[in-house]
Amino acid sequence: MSLRSLGAFVLLSMMICLRVQAAEPVRIQLWHQMIYGHRQILSEALRDFEKENPNIIIRETYRETEELRSSYQAAAMGGSGPELVFGPSDQIGPFATMGIIQPLEKIVGEDYLKQYNSLAVPLFENKHYMIGGSVGNHLMLLYNKKFITKPPTTTDELIEIAKKNTQDLDGDGKTDRFGLVFNYTEPFFFAPFIPAFGQSFMTADLKPQLNQIGLRKTFEFILDLRDKYKVIPKECDYETANALFKQDKAAMLINGDWSWGDYQNAGVDFGIARIPQVSETQKWPSPLVGTVGYSLNTHFTSPEHEAAAIAVLKYLTSEKVQRLFTEKVGVMPSLLSLQTPAAIAAYPLLKESAHIMEVGTPMPVIPEVRGVWDSLRIQYQKVLASSLTPAQGAELAQAMAETQIQNMNEVVPPDFGAVIIKLFTGLGIIALLVATRKWWWAFFKGFQSSQRFVYFMMLPAFIGIFAVIAYPFFYNVAISFSNFGLKTFQDWSIIGFQNYWTALTDPKLYSLLVKTVIWTGVNVFFHVTIGVFLAVIIHQLMPAKGLWRTLFIIPWAVPQYITALTWRGMFNQEYGPINLFLQKFLHMDPVQWLSQPFTAFTACIITNVWLGFPFMMIVALGGLQSIPDSLYEAAYLDKANAWQRFRHITLPLLAPVMVPAAILSCIWTFNNLNVVWLVSNAGEPGDQTHILVSYVYKAAFNLYRYGYAAAVSVLIFFILVIWSLGSLIAQYRKEKRA
Amino acid sequence: MAKIEFSKVSKSFGSNHILKSIDLEVASGEFLVLVGPSGCGKSTLLRTLAGLEKADSGEIYINGKAISHVEPQDRDIAMVFQNYALYPHMNVAENMGFALRLQKKSPNEVQSRVREIADLLQIGHLLERKPKELSGGQRQRVALGRALTRQTSILLFDEPLSNLDAHLRSQMRVEIKRIHQKIKNTMIYVTHDQMEATTMGDRIAVLKDGLVEQIGSPHEIYHEPKNLFVASFIGSPEMNFIEGSILSRMPWTGAQKGQQILGVRPEAFEVFENDVNTHEVDMGVFKIELSENLGGQTMLHGVLEDQNVRVLVDSTKPYTKDQKIRLKINRTKAHLFDKQSREKQAHL
Amino acid sequence: MKRLSAWAVLALFALFSIYPMLYVLSVALRGDNAFQSQSLEIITATSTLKNFVVLFTETDFLLWMRNSLLIATVTAGLGVALAATSAYALSRYQFKGRQAMLFSLLVSQMFPATMLILPFYIILSNLGLVDSFWGLFLIYSSTALPFCIWQMKAYYDTIPKELEEAALLDGCTPWKSFYKIILPVSSPALVITALFSFMTSWSEYVIAAVVLQNPELYTLPMGLRSFQASLATQWGLYAAGALIVSFPVLILFISISRYLVSGLTMGSVKG
Repeated sequence: MSLRSLGAFVLLSMMICLRVQAAEPVRIQLWHQMIYGHRQILSEALRDFEKENPNIIIRETYRETEELRSSYQAAAMGGSGPELVFGPSDQIGPFATMGIIQPLEKIVGEDYLKQYNSLAVPLFENKHYMIGGSVGNHLMLLYNKKFITKPPTTTDELIEIAKKNTQDLDGDGKTDRFGLVFNYTEPFFFAPFIPAFGQSFMTADLKPQLNQIGLRKTFEFILDLRDKYKVIPKECDYETANALFKQDKAAMLINGDWSWGDYQNAGVDFGIARIPQVSETQKWPSPLVGTVGYSLNTHFTSPEHEAAAIAVLKYLTSEKVQRLFTEKVGVMPSLLSLQTPAAIAAYPLLKESAHIMEVGTPMPVIPEVRGVWDSLRIQYQKVLASSLTPAQGAELAQAMAETQIQNMNEVVPPDFGAVIIKLFTGLGIIALLVATRKWWWAFFKGFQSSQRFVYFMMLPAFIGIFAVIAYPFFYNVAISFSNFGLKTFQDWSIIGFQNYWTALTDPKLYSLLVKTVIWTGVNVFFHVTIGVFLAVIIHQLMPAKGLWRTLFIIPWAVPQYITALTWRGMFNQEYGPINLFLQKFLHMDPVQWLSQPFTAFTACIITNVWLGFPFMMIVALGGLQSIPDSLYEAAYLDKANAWQRFRHITLPLLAPVMVPAAILSCIWTFNNLNVVWLVSNAGEPGDQTHILVSYVYKAAFNLYRYGYAAAVSVLIFFILVIWSLGSLIAQYRKEKRA
Repeated sequence: MAKIEFSKVSKSFGSNHILKSIDLEVASGEFLVLVGPSGCGKSTLLRTLAGLEKADSGEIYINGKAISHVEPQDRDIAMVFQNYALYPHMNVAENMGFALRLQKKSPNEVQSRVREIADLLQIGHLLERKPKELSGGQRQRVALGRALTRQTSILLFDEPLSNLDAHLRSQMRVEIKRIHQKIKNTMIYVTHDQMEATTMGDRIAVLKDGLVEQIGSPHEIYHEPKNLFVASFIGSPEMNFIEGSILSRMPWTGAQKGQQILGVRPEAFEVFENDVNTHEVDMGVFKIELSENLGGQTMLHGVLEDQNVRVLVDSTKPYTKDQKIRLKINRTKAHLFDKQSREKQAHL
Repeated sequence: MKRLSAWAVLALFALFSIYPMLYVLSVALRGDNAFQSQSLEIITATSTLKNFVVLFTETDFLLWMRNSLLIATVTAGLGVALAATSAYALSRYQFKGRQAMLFSLLVSQMFPATMLILPFYIILSNLGLVDSFWGLFLIYSSTALPFCIWQMKAYYDTIPKELEEAALLDGCTPWKSFYKIILPVSSPALVITALFSFMTSWSEYVIAAVVLQNPELYTLPMGLRSFQASLATQWGLYAAGALIVSFPVLILFISISRYLVSGLTMGSVKG
């Protein structure tokens, strides 16, 4: 061994030693969905922890609730993800079923868990998967003390007080203050009434129980509030309710404990009370009481990480941190020691809140509850849009919940199809390789010939495309033949053609296909006509072409998600500028854009038309520029009028440019998830605004039916391939004939 | 200087045989024109020489060296394209000096060369302009200038004048010819215009359907066409092709009725004025149907026996419709073609 | 008369096209969470720039902006480089599989992109690229590629091939004739392609949300989303942020709008 390599060796070992000695701090990730005010307290608490434990660094990441769920699932699938995840208790069910969070008994010990209110450590299949940082998350009646001194205790009183407080202050025929507001389109917000009117919406053995008098009466009650007593707004989502209450434009509000801080900051003098007793049955509405808490990932990169994560978990659920949250944002602590009347005496809201919680029901945590909520929401929104009676709504909700739960839990066993698929894939690949061997041979030989240049030019891009598009595509094809779903998240297997069979025998798929075709056709039609129309006007008549072009480019330049949410705001029934405009200038009644299926779908189309016409306009302008003026002059001499000139010169000469653009645009529109999903808020009302892709998205990410969703995606893919091949060939023939 | 030799060069695109085993030699310093109707393969032949197309078989030699494996950029050949192919993002000077700059010539050298050629072509005042700011004629000169700057031993022209108007075209024709006389490198010029071919070429190769029909000096091609195609393609106004009873007037032994076609150029006819020399033949009475005044000459369209014939005569005498005149020709100016083989027949 | 009605129609469409952004502006200028207002006016007496101030002083907006700019620029560069070269080969050379490759580009647009997210994540986590910009560079530039290649190819198709032939004879290698002659000539299309790649990554959210976990790596769309909690959206901040996010793209669009028309070639016009 030479001196030099010895030196290198010594240096290397020194470096290794140094690394070991200066122990790297352990990095712990925490994903949470805390609202803005809570986030700041969380980071305050975490920074304190880091100061005391310099070897641990915690990175907290905010994710919106639904997104937290889907990204955590994806991350866990890839074998990573944050060590700690914070969220509402109803995510325990799916996560635990997928095996991506772990039971805590062995880790922290049974006794440790016993310090907490049982609501804060919910049981799922007899195990604890979460420790709540607080309990509550329950609904209550909030009232503005400016208008109401004593809150109603029965629904009759509620209606009476609400009526008194529903006022048109300036006499313009429009209500300026509402007696009651709440996000009544969401099942969560009316769920408390169901047991009060009848029975609980889940049976003791956790089966849905929706087709019952309680749900029918609840539907009727809300319809009455809206239509008979007219004390709640015609359209009211969470934001609207929230804003109205803050601006003194609503006397009462049904909302959760999380919202207190917001109203306190806004300077609203409010009180809280139980949601009033149902006069008819003398029963109290029962809000769902749950927890938002911390769970541990099943994967850890090292034992150090695991130890650190557990330390952080214990810290975040400790007395110190809970006190901090209680003091700053007034949430109910989950430690029994902090829940004693003495401990919360200093917080009048908490005292009242504890009183409200007494009539509450624990939040179900089983994954199936998603199916219940979803079917409830869908049928309920149809009831609100008056396309179903309350009785029909209740009946259909039950039926749908049962199907959804069945779909979710189903683990389809492999059948004969699986053997065929496996066999064919193997043989198919071999056969393909054999059949194309000459091609491959020529391809590889190309590297030595003068083709080399071509290859070097082209391959980088195609390798990228293959890696990022082709591989995921084949992955999806594989999944589409599998039983990949909630229960088989970690160990799915090829099962055969069942997913395709389910999809193809479902009449819903065909009605969705029709709707998607309409969606695509209408959109592209308007894109092209408006685009060409504007282009022709600008090109032929206008000075300052550049200026006009710039004005019309704007919709293209704005990111899609911003556009979609902006238009959603603009379609708001009460405050959206579209309705304001209709009322002010056209003296029309406000249109309930987003709560009727037809208008909601129209709203999506309008938004997408707005998004898409600039592209076509630019393409058309480019085309127009290359049509020689002499043709128009010739036509002019032939006494062709403006329309004829357009029809016989512009149109046919523009077609070769517009057709490829239109084909591309059809494909994009067909698969445009953003607009439909965001404008209609995931298919509202009642899942009736879906197009195929949004349906797929929902099946995969909300209902955990990955295999089925992948199968439908593959079907979408083939529909588009066949269609576009057809239109390309048609276009090619036409050009050849011309 | 460079001598070029095509040896059995063939090329097809799919089932379309563009070049069928072409053999052709171009002497050093020669101006060869390749002429033929569109699709005859003349451009392909040129592009094969330049290396822009690869021959399927056969070989091309420059100064005796096979070049089929030499990349186009190493062949030392310059070319003027039909659509000029000026680099739109470079000004005239940059266009012209591009090749020299690629050769890493010093900026001074590039500049002086560009200047020299620009002066030769009278485009010195355009050097700073971009191609799109030039007229068609100016672009043509720049394209020519770009090819000349490189001082290659071989210069190729692919229908360079076809996009110009008649006046500019005749002007450029002279210009190119003048330049050739000055720099004396080997030039091959492709055109479909027989007028360009005959006025410019030292030699002309007439191509048709991928075959060389005839090679020769413009004089040979014009006066001794080897076959019906060359006879009809070269010369404007076109040669008259006469069949039928007139052929019996010819005092040739080989002239058999129905088997041959007689070719006579319009200017070969003369008006019969009682004197027939020994080498002249009386062609009979020609009835004028239409007369066209071409300035110095008059083109008469009419009927000779039962055949439509054009006759080019001096415009000193007036001719009117329905007038009858008698025509004669010098028998050496009459060509006899076999109807079957379409080849020229020897006659005495 | 004709001119007047043309003006009227254009003015109407112009209103249609800019109003939504004005609406966002008006929301951004309102005070605390004043999403609800029954006024059609854009700027009212109570308008305030508070949201913008908060955006820049109290949130990580500048950090997000830096990240987004970095990602979008690199993506655009990478996308243009890859698209320009491969589209050139597809436009100029005949080779085995050329038609298949062209069609596969179109086909690649047909699979619902949302279903690709899960496999994306699996690939990236196998490559160890989760939580790094490299993963995003790879995904963004590749997903934008098919359209960019089509678009570049369509433009190359309009360039006469004599240009390269002239360059070849002038002594260029194929590569040199590509980058010395064809690339400069294609600058309008290159600009458009860059713009497309830039836009894809500038406004993409879903993939970024899956790939990036460290808040220091957050992009603008992710940052904007964080104002949008499920039950407590800060609309004022969101609107102010949305305006600022749209602004650079808008400026880009406007500054290159003269290239837009000439550079966006979807096919050729006969005539």
